[in-house]
Amino acid sequence: MVNLTIDGKQVTVSKAATIYEAALEAGIHIPVLCYAKKLLPYGACRVCLVEVEQMKGRLIPSCTTPVTQGMVVTTTSAEINKVRKTVLEFLLVNHVVECPVCDKGGECDLQDLTFEHEVYPNRFTGEKFALPTDEVNPLIERNMNRCVLCGKCARVCDEIVAFGSYSFINRGFESKIATAFDRGLNCEFCGQCVSMCPVGAILPRPFKFKARPWQLKEVDSVCGYCGNGCTVTLGVLKDKVETIRFNDKTGVNDGNLCIRGRFGYSYVNSEDRLTKPLVRKDGKLVQTDWKEALDTVVSGFAKARAEKGVGIVTGARLTNEELFLLKNLAKAMGTGNLDHSGGESYKGVTEGLFETLGVTASTATFPQVEECDTILSIRSDFYETHPVFGMVVNQAVKRHDAHLIVIADKRGKFGKLPHAETLLAKPGLEVNILNAMAQSLLADGLAITDGVEGVVELQAALADYTPELVAAQTGVPAAAIRAAAQQLAKAKKSAILLAYGLPYTAHSRELGIAAANLAILTGIPGREGSGLYLCGEKANSQGAIDLQIVPGKEALDSQSMFQAAAAGTLSALYIVGEDPLTSYPDRKKIETALDKVPFLVVQDIFLSPTAQQADVVLPAASFAEKDGTFTNAERRLQRVRQGIPLPGEAKTDYAIFELLAGRFGKQVSFTGPEAVFSQIAASTPGYGGIEYGAIGPQGVVWGGDLLAVKRRKVVAVAGGKPVETPYQLITGSSLYHNGTVSTRATGPLAVIPSPFVELGREDASTLQVKEGDLLTLRANGVEIKLAAKIDTRMPKGVLFAPYHFSSAGLNRIFTGQAAVPVEVSK
Amino acid sequence: MTDTPQVLFKNRRPGETAFLAEYQRSGGYEGLRKAVKMTPAEVRETVKESGLRGRGGAGFPTGLKWTFFPADQLGEKYLVCNGDEMEPGTYKDRELLLADPHQLIEGMLVAAYALQTPVAYVFIRYAYERCAQNLERAIAEARQAGFLGRDILGSGFACEIFVHRSAGRYICGEETALLNALEGLRANPRSKPPFPAVRGLFGKPTTVNNVETLANVQHIIAHGADWFRGLARTESGAGTKLYGLSGHLNQTPCLEAPIGITLRELIQEHGGGVWQGRKMKACLPGGASTPFMTAGQLDVPMDFDTIEKAGSRFGTGGVTVFDETTCMVEATLNLNNFFARESCGWCTPCRDGLPFVSWLLRQIETGKATMDDLQTLRDQLRNITGTSFCALAQGAVGPIESLLRLFGDEVEDHIKRGRCPLKS
Repeated sequence: MVNLTIDGKQVTVSKAATIYEAALEAGIHIPVLCYAKKLLPYGACRVCLVEVEQMKGRLIPSCTTPVTQGMVVTTTSAEINKVRKTVLEFLLVNHVVECPVCDKGGECDLQDLTFEHEVYPNRFTGEKFALPTDEVNPLIERNMNRCVLCGKCARVCDEIVAFGSYSFINRGFESKIATAFDRGLNCEFCGQCVSMCPVGAILPRPFKFKARPWQLKEVDSVCGYCGNGCTVTLGVLKDKVETIRFNDKTGVNDGNLCIRGRFGYSYVNSEDRLTKPLVRKDGKLVQTDWKEALDTVVSGFAKARAEKGVGIVTGARLTNEELFLLKNLAKAMGTGNLDHSGGESYKGVTEGLFETLGVTASTATFPQVEECDTILSIRSDFYETHPVFGMVVNQAVKRHDAHLIVIADKRGKFGKLPHAETLLAKPGLEVNILNAMAQSLLADGLAITDGVEGVVELQAALADYTPELVAAQTGVPAAAIRAAAQQLAKAKKSAILLAYGLPYTAHSRELGIAAANLAILTGIPGREGSGLYLCGEKANSQGAIDLQIVPGKEALDSQSMFQAAAAGTLSALYIVGEDPLTSYPDRKKIETALDKVPFLVVQDIFLSPTAQQADVVLPAASFAEKDGTFTNAERRLQRVRQGIPLPGEAKTDYAIFELLAGRFGKQVSFTGPEAVFSQIAASTPGYGGIEYGAIGPQGVVWGGDLLAVKRRKVVAVAGGKPVETPYQLITGSSLYHNGTVSTRATGPLAVIPSPFVELGREDASTLQVKEGDLLTLRANGVEIKLAAKIDTRMPKGVLFAPYHFSSAGLNRIFTGQAAVPVEVSK
Repeated sequence: MTDTPQVLFKNRRPGETAFLAEYQRSGGYEGLRKAVKMTPAEVRETVKESGLRGRGGAGFPTGLKWTFFPADQLGEKYLVCNGDEMEPGTYKDRELLLADPHQLIEGMLVAAYALQTPVAYVFIRYAYERCAQNLERAIAEARQAGFLGRDILGSGFACEIFVHRSAGRYICGEETALLNALEGLRANPRSKPPFPAVRGLFGKPTTVNNVETLANVQHIIAHGADWFRGLARTESGAGTKLYGLSGHLNQTPCLEAPIGITLRELIQEHGGGVWQGRKMKACLPGGASTPFMTAGQLDVPMDFDTIEKAGSRFGTGGVTVFDETTCMVEATLNLNNFFARESCGWCTPCRDGLPFVSWLLRQIETGKATMDDLQTLRDQLRNITGTSFCALAQGAVGPIESLLRLFGDEVEDHIKRGRCPLKS
């Protein structure tokens, strides 16, 4: 710690602090333009200049100058104010002052500073900028005539997003922020630049001319998309979510968001939302009232119970409270056939981690990853599935020189980072590589085996997985496998990351175990700062696991329920917040099941392809319309808050479950989510002692920052077999979408409007395909057509198609394999 | 041509380049041979004692700069030679590299040994292609002769020198901007601290020295610190200096002369006096960023301290002379236009302040200015000085400050008459 004096006030701060940060801590206001908490010090705008007694003769930039012991700082004086005012005058000489039509008005740093320093009139005059604006894309509008060249957009895009879309070009007065070759913006459209811009130079287009900031109601909630659990602050105007506001004070994401979080909210306002219950009459779905709908549901389920039983399949975007009620409803209905998220994908956590570590969750928290020196990411560089956690990985690599090892079947953005390497394997062989890494650690005596069960058995079982043998199967050099293992073994703080979700059904248990084996052998569980992270695809994937939304004893899991329905041995299906026809593997099977099942109830916010097959459709609520809690992929419980009213007669899943439970004779009389949560806390392992009201801005991590594991047992698992056809198709999540609901959000659709299949240049040239050509993919006698997208990240023979789009019909050929052998033609 | 001892220019012949054979005939690489028999600390100490000051413009004592460098610490560290000579009126490094590239190579090797840097870079201006080629040939020759590479002269010390051609920007002369440029980044200066000696090129300890500075090092080692001090004509100064004359003179040579030679001697003897029989009005003693000196200051010895006392800076030793017909406002405007253009665009006072100063000077020159404008100009100089990120704006302000100090009447005349008094 360092002691210094600021404006006569004694301040004690960490020696890593800058003068600006010290002043901030002491409650002393120093104006800034180019400073941002999460970016590296910059010192360009010169608004934050102060006087330091020990450095007389010039003014000192407070945002870049570290504090030193005994420093005496003055933050305002006639001279300082004059210099600050001059800087503002300089900026305003050429800045186009069009506040009345600029959306930033009311929360513009330049406007505020101009007011604070009374820069009117400006002593200087000069030519105004007349640069063309970039209005090419529908999400981000750039008007460089308003730019103050603070560089925050360029810095956030490089330092945090690792995309590097912007740079300064030209010199001197001609300097400006531009994209490569000064063209229109063509990037990931995460809008991080929008969130950092202190003026109106970079603005969100969907929000253009909608409102002044003071007209908006701000509601802190949690993003409804992925398991990252980012705080999104809804900007609500007239009962509509009109924008997502920048908020770096709440939650785990530091104000960072991806395109889904920032621009993907629009589906909640969609005209296509279900507003009334529907029942099937004469083969057609017609609108009805709740009474008739519920009567139909209750009698349908009652009949089914009496016959071959009911099955319940839910998604993982329901709140914990809703999932808890659903579980109780299942009990009231007397069925153990309850499952979520397709059943298979989460087994890496529920079975893999449970068998090895005795826990069913990630063992540490996201912020710890930034300090790791080695990060192993399995199946992708993680950015595609969990972009904002990906940004933490990027910062670990860029700011803390972490080594990033990616085991994947295609290249990702982070492969290009310094100290990053991609072990590019043939699809479906990640387990083999993890096994080989474990084998090499054991063989070289680098493994930590004290107190570890099953080492001898594992060692014996891994005889077939020497790096050399695995290298021959996977195409990853043995030396690279060994080096990766050694890197992980010598790391002081390390993280192993694995994303799971609907499109990743193959080998999920095996991958969980193989990852846990490596974690155990390198001492990760229980070690300060290290962690094994299995991250779910949906906002409350972890909550669904914590609340055990899994089949009861001898009951059917999701796959078996559809199997049974297809075989005519299940009488009713209740599908909540899922669109299995689009997103579950093997569409033929789902189609048959939905067709054959005598009674189908779908509860959703849209009339999804699955809902179109239903006998009764119940309109539900989106994340923006309900209260409750989500548990994110690092076990952080966070509050979801209602920002807007429900559309039409739609009800929250909570309300629907409550009504149904009452009808099944189990009167539920909770007064609201808070009351439900206290029941959850009382009955859910790890949740004990947590109070709803005590879940603050940063949430509550159940089990603590470092989750205590129950055992350390390594378990042998078999690897995959390579697919030997010339072309193989893999599926997964694309960066811009998540699940199926994002295909109804204008933001993500603006960038990726339709399904595609991605292939490498070499294959494109062999197949004589051009970008956008329709490719025919044939497997198991089924044919689908997808538009080609050509780039450099796909290895030869491997094609990638994301699974979000119903129209793609991808699950006609994808039936759950790690890689689908396909024939490809133009 | 001159009777002063020639150290750096001893092998200089018109239109020719001296390579290894000739360089060695004149005692080349004796300094390196001697250096590697000393300890690195002894070499650094000798350079410190010699009083050598940086020849790139700022005049920082080289030996002192080297003491900030963690020479004895193991690990990656770098020596970088700043050859991005772009100060208007300065062309001495080009002349040196065209004449005798081994001067720099040997100097760098001795410096690299003193600082224990296994890798050294020459960051050279894009326009100096001939110089770069000379250096590349010199490096190849030195390698073949065992002066460069692994185990130099059996000392166990290894050093590689790489030539990097700059994309060319004035700001690349600022050492941290140079490091950014060398890393392939935009040439913006970095914030200090950390200083390059702590965190420089690729985040590793780095020392940046000017071409001429480094070329002096081996001679100091070969002949001793006292010899070097004795070369100067002033008590405080040390060594010789390369002076490049330009402007309104009868001759504009680049020459080597002792530190402490007077301006008069440079202008009268080496420059052959002001052209067309006119009188001298002013000069820039050390490049475009040094304040003007007047005809009344011709007897000031050319050394860092003496010139500073006279209100200017020694700078790079590039002397530009203006004759009596020159409009000083116009000359200053021309200089300031250069600095405004060459600002990297990073910090507000420099990026937006310098064009505004240009605008004010243009108003004055074209007779459109008022006395208020002059007051604003004075005010701006104070605002820009001490607020900008690096020294570029500071340097730019130098000539303007001296314009107002030395030629205030001429400036006011512009305003009063509503036109340039020197133009009819």
